[in-house]
Amino acid sequence: MTAVYELFRNLLLQWAEAGFLPESFKYAFVANAFFCAFLIGPLLGGIGTMVVTKRLAFFSQAVGQAAMTGVALGILLGEPYTSPYASLFGFCILFGLLMNFTRGRTKMSSDTVIGVFLSISLAVGACILLYVTAGVNIHILESILFGSILTVSDIDMNVLLVVAVICTMVSIPFYNRLLLGSFNSSLAHVRGVKVVLMEYMFVLMITVITVASLKIVGAVLVEALFIIPAAAARNISKSIRSFTAFSILFSTLACLLGVVIPLEFNIAVPSGGAIILVASFFFLITAVVRITGKRYSEGTL
Amino acid sequence: MNSTNLFIESAGNGPRIQFEKVCLMLGGNSILDEVDFVVEPGSIHCLIGPNGGGKTSLLRSLLGQMPHSGTIKLGWSDGEVIGYVPQMLDFDRTLPITVDDFMAMTCQTRPAFFGIGSEFRIPIGRILDKVGLAEKRYRILGQLSGGEMQRLLLAQALLPAPNLLVLDEPATGLDEKGATILRNLLRELKTQGVTIFWIHHDLQEVREMADFVTCINRRVIFSGRPVEVLNNEQILSAFSARSYQNTGTMP
Repeated sequence: MTAVYELFRNLLLQWAEAGFLPESFKYAFVANAFFCAFLIGPLLGGIGTMVVTKRLAFFSQAVGQAAMTGVALGILLGEPYTSPYASLFGFCILFGLLMNFTRGRTKMSSDTVIGVFLSISLAVGACILLYVTAGVNIHILESILFGSILTVSDIDMNVLLVVAVICTMVSIPFYNRLLLGSFNSSLAHVRGVKVVLMEYMFVLMITVITVASLKIVGAVLVEALFIIPAAAARNISKSIRSFTAFSILFSTLACLLGVVIPLEFNIAVPSGGAIILVASFFFLITAVVRITGKRYSEGTL
Repeated sequence: MNSTNLFIESAGNGPRIQFEKVCLMLGGNSILDEVDFVVEPGSIHCLIGPNGGGKTSLLRSLLGQMPHSGTIKLGWSDGEVIGYVPQMLDFDRTLPITVDDFMAMTCQTRPAFFGIGSEFRIPIGRILDKVGLAEKRYRILGQLSGGEMQRLLLAQALLPAPNLLVLDEPATGLDEKGATILRNLLRELKTQGVTIFWIHHDLQEVREMADFVTCINRRVIFSGRPVEVLNNEQILSAFSARSYQNTGTMP
């Protein structure tokens, strides 16, 4: 894979030298971040429409916060500070599946179950984090929590690429089946959809995407990229086609601009924060369009 | 009805359904108790009864979605396609999913955001036309009226052509246009040999449409041809004063 990344970096380097791209693209770390943004943008934008349709926004938030606990756990167990993937994947997948299992079996309302799990995970995370940060430089944690393009390595890119390819290959053929269960599970079952299996599959997808996007977007904000571009797209869409297309577009633009703008204007902000701010800007504009546009008018109550 | 006039290809004859000592316990409560009756193939069989009497639970047992005991035998003769018309859908009203998107989502494997596949374009168009939604194909679901939504749910149940059509009566009734469309459609399907199992509230319509009717309230209260079993005495005993107030469907 390294050869492919080299090819990509050299290409950007040449374009930067030829003046097609800004100067900063000569640096390998910028090229890496750009590569990740190109993967994360469409992936989170596309899956985000499903998260919004299935009303799992709060769920994805809980998984995102669990990543913080995963990082703390990784450091406690002696994994490398910059890529504690075993603990991250291990804890987040366990957390997501357990939360879905509890939700399915107790038939409690989702927000109650998620609230409980979110609190437990935060409490555990806070305790371990404060315990381990006594020994390490707290700034290392910043990059995991809020994203930092400086620390993206070839390993991170490999993880992200594998996750992106697998999730794309699963979500496209199963797209209709993943959605139908949330409209009416009986109907989905009659149509031959394995509703429970699909739920678990989707939860698993959200979880691994969250973990794989950590380096760029950060544990605290990654779930926002599932929700905000899709919410912005929903404001101005009249069909599932434009909903998906706009969401992917907003998310990809947010990722690219969120990486490039701080570099170009020399603003010292974490990449995750910048990406989400750009996405929020899209949301703001589309919300204004929706509120003022006649074709979207609805009853007021 | 003339068979060359049919709007969908016939799937062949429907199944015979035999409920044998079907019991269902949920949360420690007995929902169904030794339910026994037969649905004849190719008939319109209506299921009536007071609210909370276990109609939807029985239907979901038939669909294999309930932990019931006893047996439900489905004697298929030709294909084994079940069309199911649910009571309602659960979604946000502003979700940008159109009538076409929903048909694509239920009927095909190709992701709905790629649009309706070429092999489904004609049948979906024909069915939406049949249920009177041809002009609302680009409406989002949240902007459909209750009657239109019910017709959409009916439309999706017809693709692929079913051998058994199971309808869970909507909580909100159909509009008059929808009711007429539904009546004609069901008669048409019946001529194709489709078995139709239908939860219904309107006893007047049950008299007109059904070949057989079964009334359940936890157990079978009566079952037979409407002209034989739907007399005032039977109905009065089935729908207690309380359930009469709840359903408001006394003739």
